Amino acid sequence: MKIPRLTTLVSVAVLVVLALFPVIGIPLTWLNYLFLFFIYLALANMWNLLAGYSGLICLCPHAFVGLAGYTLAIGTWVGVPFQVGLIAGAVVAALFALLISYPVFRMRGIYFAIGTLILPEVLRVWFSFWRPVGNIYQGMGAGYSVTGVAGVTLGDTYWLGLAIAVASIFLVHIILRTRLGLGLKAIRDNENTAASGGVNVFQVKLYSFLIAAFIMGIAGAAYYIYSPRINPVGGFSIRWLLMPLMATVIGGEGIEEGPIIGAAIVTFLTFQLAPYGAWSLFIQGVILIAVVLVVPQGIAGFLRQVGAYRFPLKLFQAAEGKIHKNLK
Amino acid sequence: MLETAVLSVDRVNKRFGGIVAVKDMTFEVQAGEVLGLMGPNGAGKTTLLNLIAGVYRPDSGRVLFQGKDITRCAPHKTCHLGIARTYQIPQPFTHLSVRDNLLVTATYGSKKGDTFELDEILDLVDLSKQKGMIAGDLATISLKKLELARALASDPTLILLDEVAAGSTDAEIPRILDITKQVRKMGKTIILVEHVMKVMVEAVDRIVVMDKGEKIAEGTPGEVMKDEKVLAAYFG
Repeated sequence: MKIPRLTTLVSVAVLVVLALFPVIGIPLTWLNYLFLFFIYLALANMWNLLAGYSGLICLCPHAFVGLAGYTLAIGTWVGVPFQVGLIAGAVVAALFALLISYPVFRMRGIYFAIGTLILPEVLRVWFSFWRPVGNIYQGMGAGYSVTGVAGVTLGDTYWLGLAIAVASIFLVHIILRTRLGLGLKAIRDNENTAASGGVNVFQVKLYSFLIAAFIMGIAGAAYYIYSPRINPVGGFSIRWLLMPLMATVIGGEGIEEGPIIGAAIVTFLTFQLAPYGAWSLFIQGVILIAVVLVVPQGIAGFLRQVGAYRFPLKLFQAAEGKIHKNLK
Repeated sequence: MLETAVLSVDRVNKRFGGIVAVKDMTFEVQAGEVLGLMGPNGAGKTTLLNLIAGVYRPDSGRVLFQGKDITRCAPHKTCHLGIARTYQIPQPFTHLSVRDNLLVTATYGSKKGDTFELDEILDLVDLSKQKGMIAGDLATISLKKLELARALASDPTLILLDEVAAGSTDAEIPRILDITKQVRKMGKTIILVEHVMKVMVEAVDRIVVMDKGEKIAEGTPGEVMKDEKVLAAYFG
């Protein structure tokens, strides 16, 4: 079915409303919820790009988030403005991805997954001892506070999060329609055939890995502008992996709208389950397993399967037809 | 002779652990020729194709393609140079449409980088009607044809066909022979690994027979079929 142009219009309208939230006096808790949703969404989109479209089960998003957060925090201690620190964090995350690419790409499938999983652990230990600037402990352990962000309002970070989330959606949308996206999907489906068909497997994987690390890094750094205190346990926390992973799998891996649906569910659950403390992740894990067993293609996959998009699309088409008639 | 050789394999050896898969293999393929590669199961035919395509690197010996040493080229490099291959067990991009399967090799593998010929290729292998289908949903015979189509989409000089007719019924074999002839008319050089004798005899100019990794005979189909070593390898 041809996608009616009204769909784009509705998306733009939603975006405008979201962008207006901080100025129309929405409760602050909502802004907090939505900000976290944006960060998880950006992470999930990138996780989906790697796992759903490139066949790379990357278990190290928390390495990218933590490194970017630390780059931002340490940067502000030596006088780097946080705006520059934000970009620098993303660049450091991408450079780290470049550094590890050669060893980890030698492994495939589940071995790649395990190989990437140990990296954040190594970084966590490293940052527990390494203290390049400042001699007074700020916060717990080897933590740093991000300085110079006192003037940043919740509205500002909200807009930053929104921009990053929207950028991540567009980025995936564009990549999938280019030569790179075709190569990624080919590698995901069959690495050997892709290679014998002329795809430079290492190079194509590296591109998607670098892009994902950069966006995950910028999302992580944005989080530490919002919550300006980082320590090794929090920065390299496995929740930075579990959130995008659960969002992608629950929403639908390898489906563009999957992470959007999934990130909304995961964010909602995180806040609803917050009173249960450590049980929260456990309950989310159970939900994840249930989804995998009942609808292995994810919620978006299920919606597509039963044709749930057909009705709203038809409505849009009908509305569009009427608008055209009235214009004539 | 040497100047027209598209591919020359020069004393190539490959062993896996203690097993010798290919031993002192030497042969040449001329431009526009269809060379058959024959031998009992486990003779090393597929290994030889993998050595040419760059999947494996020989322990010793050289592989020359159009005079260029490709012994240490990675698979995507050999594809860029003009070698395409099909797999014995079809290896499609399962989640992509039939046409997108071709688009991958056309965009990444073809020197020309254009894709306008894709529909012609799909026509040639009778997949035009299924071009929008997801490759994973195709029947076996269509998957075999898709292998060939995908190889053609990179606009290769040399095509390595690994048992295109295996698994097809007798009724389908004439069609496959016909397609092979069409491919040949396009000016492609072909190396054909085949068990189906009818295809072998009718499609090829020359046959190289392998047994236990070694070349035991070479010649026209008629000559090879009378060769005592060949008869011994096949019938003991």
